[in-house]
Amino acid sequence: MTSVESVPSTSTQVPAVGAAPDGPPQRKQLTKAERRELQEKQRAAKAAATAAGAPAKAGNAPKPAPKPSQGQNTKASTPAGASGSTATASNAPATAAKKAAKSGKEVDTQLVDKTADLEAQRRHQTRIFTHFVGKKEGGLGAGIKGEIHPAIIRLGRQFADMKIVGANARCIAALVAFKTIIQDYITPQNLTLARDLTQYISPQISYLVSARPMAVGMGNSIRELKYHISVVSIDMPEQDAKDHLCEQIDTYISHRIVLADSVIEEYAMAKIQNGAVIMTYARSSVVERVLIAAWTRGKRFSVKVVDSRPMLEGKNMLAQFVKVGIPCTYLLINGVGSVIAEVSMVFLGAHAINSNGSVYSRAGTALVAMLAKEHSVPVLVLSETYKYSNNIQLDSFTKNELAPIPDPRTSSRRITTRDRLGNETDVDDETRNPNLQSINPLYDLTPHTHITVLVTEVGLIPPSAISTLAGLRDKDKGMQLSV
Amino acid sequence: MFELMEAVKDAATKLKRHYSHNSVSLSAGCDVFYQFISSLRDFGQASIQLDPKLPAVREYAQNTKQVKDTIADNVDAFIKDDSVILTHGYSRVVVNAFLLSHRKGRRISVYVTETRPRGLGMRTHELLTKAGIPCTIILDSAVAYAMDKVDMIMVGCEAVVESGGIVNAVGSCQMAMIAKAFNKPVHVLAESYKWTRLFPLSQYDLPTHNDHILSFDLVSTPPTSGSNSPLPGTPRRHHPVLRTTDSIPNLLFAAQRHPPLDTTMSTNSMSNVMPVGQAGRNPEVDYTPPEYITLLFTDAGILTPEGISSYLVTMSLRSESS
Repeated sequence: MTSVESVPSTSTQVPAVGAAPDGPPQRKQLTKAERRELQEKQRAAKAAATAAGAPAKAGNAPKPAPKPSQGQNTKASTPAGASGSTATASNAPATAAKKAAKSGKEVDTQLVDKTADLEAQRRHQTRIFTHFVGKKEGGLGAGIKGEIHPAIIRLGRQFADMKIVGANARCIAALVAFKTIIQDYITPQNLTLARDLTQYISPQISYLVSARPMAVGMGNSIRELKYHISVVSIDMPEQDAKDHLCEQIDTYISHRIVLADSVIEEYAMAKIQNGAVIMTYARSSVVERVLIAAWTRGKRFSVKVVDSRPMLEGKNMLAQFVKVGIPCTYLLINGVGSVIAEVSMVFLGAHAINSNGSVYSRAGTALVAMLAKEHSVPVLVLSETYKYSNNIQLDSFTKNELAPIPDPRTSSRRITTRDRLGNETDVDDETRNPNLQSINPLYDLTPHTHITVLVTEVGLIPPSAISTLAGLRDKDKGMQLSV
Repeated sequence: MFELMEAVKDAATKLKRHYSHNSVSLSAGCDVFYQFISSLRDFGQASIQLDPKLPAVREYAQNTKQVKDTIADNVDAFIKDDSVILTHGYSRVVVNAFLLSHRKGRRISVYVTETRPRGLGMRTHELLTKAGIPCTIILDSAVAYAMDKVDMIMVGCEAVVESGGIVNAVGSCQMAMIAKAFNKPVHVLAESYKWTRLFPLSQYDLPTHNDHILSFDLVSTPPTSGSNSPLPGTPRRHHPVLRTTDSIPNLLFAAQRHPPLDTTMSTNSMSNVMPVGQAGRNPEVDYTPPEYITLLFTDAGILTPEGISSYLVTMSLRSESS
């Protein structure tokens, strides 16, 4: 009776007494007959778990989720087989499920491995980075319960198609969409806005997360929004409350992003000397803004824009610089080593700043920062404080996101390559070669030792001191800055 | 109240202009005093009574003398008997600390660098030998030579900057780098009024740096090398660097045209001193990045460079929000 005995009992197990003598043959029957059912349940549980949870949990959720469900099935079928009565079997799964869910880790591991392998093979999914949220079955927002506002549906589509990219852009777009939602929201009878609106917003957030994992800054802003919702007074009339919340959102955008960017502009411009050669990477809204402002104010410098596939976001920034008249050089990341000796300083943007001062940013940033450090070129990371996260991340592997492989039928962004005859072929066409997968991690982590200074709206901060900011903000506002 | 602040600001500007070589620490001190005065002000009052405030202000000024003693006490715990300490230039805090340890009965010996061009190391030597501490002056260029004989480096500073690094007499940075290579601890003694919100990204990002420092003479060039020398408007790294070997003959040519080093201009027993024109192209202070510093001894306690930067960030945020 390997399946139950291999699980260490903690007195919450359903005793499958009658199953003891029938154990091994029972187990074989289970794996053959129940396999499909198990996988369906596993898939459904996985979809629900990933949709409902934050990306940090998404990697963990699929694993505990199938385990309780399998544990539940194991225990459900063994008493059923043993006793032979369906009445007890129908009750047993319910109680077994609860108890199995409580002791979720204690599962038949052999069963999990077998079905997991089959899952992986079936899906033709990435064989590494399986903990990243990749393509989802069932499309956008599958399995999310609750009505989703059309503004969110549209935004989710835009996120999934990479029409809106960049931490600031996504955050502002999301907050603006939430303003629409709040205005359209009507408090149901006998419920308070403070409690119900938070519940109403949750599936909307899940929908956005199903399109693309939550951006750190976006998460911070939504947390603050939820806080403001929760403290709305019960006596406040509904429209006043909604207007107040929209005002809070506007203030957040204006103070933490727009005005913060102006202050960062001032600090960063002071570091630009005439004749400097500035290197940038991919596209950052803040870096773009700073350099254009410096040029408009009369500083004269040149820029080397470094870019990389597949996103090639640097082209957009390059276009803006050239429009204003800044002399630019454009190169791909494999050329950075050749030009770094001529560079005076490197300006980089960020998606998130971790508490140990390391920077989570577009993939390739770490490379550029490391090269710059090796050549004693100062690296300035420009970032607003709302992107700060209390996380500590040690490498680019534990948390990341894969760029979606464009669907050749629907997406206009096709990445092609030419063979020697000049014939264009789709690089990412999976049907061409089932043994070939392309993966494009979107982010990487730059360790704090490669960064000279973080330019934020509160000043020039050395990376090691960034965690003091969080402590201060907490005391001032009486709430958590971020998780 | 506003006028008082303006008056303090004007006085500070005048002071800074007068003492141009000490400007960084002076700036720091003035800033701190300015902050202290602004913390005295009572909000919402049209005028304040200055007289009751004067004792507080005097006390603040006197405090700065006691600060050195606090630091010396902290330092004493780190000095073991028979320590050999290397120091740079003349710092009153450092000398005070050595004298205090010596009075307490510790046996120490001190190497001090000459600290050209001002020769401040001689003053340190004078004060220490007068008190009976064995002290030897070494060449600025002999720091690497002496490093293996040394147990620790102890220097003062003009200012502590926001990165956790320090600004001190030129030669401190290379001393710290050599110490790091030899795994010797570098201790910096810094009073808290020397902490400033500056953040230099490199030596050339210091406010004391200008285009004249480390510049080259524009000599009349032979025709061949003209195209290879960096043009003023060329976007380059902000220090001029000769990139091709063609320019080297240019230098040799220039050297031959100039008269040999002026030996009659020596002001001390050294016979070869650089001409005044060249001396003006040299910096007075340099920036030591935080990675080369082990500990900073301050009146606020003994801090690591990261600790100081955290402290500075906190203080500046508090003063902004208040």
